[in-house]
Amino acid sequence: MEGKIIVVTSGKGGVGKTTATASIGAALALEGNRVAVIDMDIGLRNLDVVLGLENRIVFNIVDVVNKRCNLAQALIRDRRIDNLFLVPASQSDNKDVLTPLGVQRVAKQLKNEFNYVIMDSPAGIEKGFENSVVAADEAIVICTPDVSSIRDADRVIGLLYARSITPRLVVNRIVPEMVARGDMLSHEDVMDVLSIDLLGLVPMDDQVVVSTNTGMPLVMHNQSLAGQAFRRIAKRINGEVDLPIIVPSVKTGVWNRITQKLGLNK
Amino acid sequence: MLNGFMKKFSGKKSSKETAKKRLQFALVYDKLEINEMTLENLQKDIVEVISKYFEIDTKSLQLEVQREHELSALVFNTPILCVKKNKGYNSKT
Repeated sequence: MEGKIIVVTSGKGGVGKTTATASIGAALALEGNRVAVIDMDIGLRNLDVVLGLENRIVFNIVDVVNKRCNLAQALIRDRRIDNLFLVPASQSDNKDVLTPLGVQRVAKQLKNEFNYVIMDSPAGIEKGFENSVVAADEAIVICTPDVSSIRDADRVIGLLYARSITPRLVVNRIVPEMVARGDMLSHEDVMDVLSIDLLGLVPMDDQVVVSTNTGMPLVMHNQSLAGQAFRRIAKRINGEVDLPIIVPSVKTGVWNRITQKLGLNK
Repeated sequence: MLNGFMKKFSGKKSSKETAKKRLQFALVYDKLEINEMTLENLQKDIVEVISKYFEIDTKSLQLEVQREHELSALVFNTPILCVKKNKGYNSKT
């Protein structure tokens, strides 16, 4: 098997990288793929709690890279979703314990065993970022519709292009009411500013907090709008390239639709 | 929606317009490491040179930096009203 390594990154912290990694990974597994999600945020691990697998950690990615255990020992199998596996980060080390060479070696192994390997990159553009992107075939950049997140995304996009990786963008936490009011950048505005292809649009959704509280993957909630958006993103990654991107919208009444037509909501 | 109505007719810019403008400038400055002052001076100089040859509408000219991947391009847009008859020689006479 020759799988794909996809890094999820953003530059800025707190925009939803870990949620996106967990959701896209889980959704790809629900599509029938063998998926490994890797927490590359050494020292500040969180992918394990988001996926509700924190009680089952024995070994971690640092152990694998530094040959204290083999890959199979560090892989935690999700019992709710078939073919979904997690390699957690170490909580006690710092980001310098990994080397790009070591990561590349393990990445090669992962590629042989999985269809998709999703790397959850830490915030920032230092060593942790380097280690996360070194083996990546593809990259997903996450941003929210605010100035600081977009500026950081632009920086990261530049760094990815410099490594000959063409990233795709997910705009997270869109509040359609605010976009309609003109108080939040629309995804078109974001696309105007950044030179990157769009992979998906995810609306703000209370269910994200609820599912993180319980450790239940977001994509397993059928009612969750964000969960649905991530499932569609996963399908797009998984070859359904023409699946249309749904723009999060305000539940429209007649009056809203009329004013929108007149351009009063812009 | 009523907000949109108010904004449309009060002529007030929405906060996202401001955000977009600020972002576009910030990204250009980040990349080129130049400031607004430099761009303004550049614009002044360009206008001076072009004005030697053409009558231009100085009110509606635009200088912007367009970006694509790793490339930036300076785009100067100006409506030309007419060609000056004494094509640039006036500085010598």
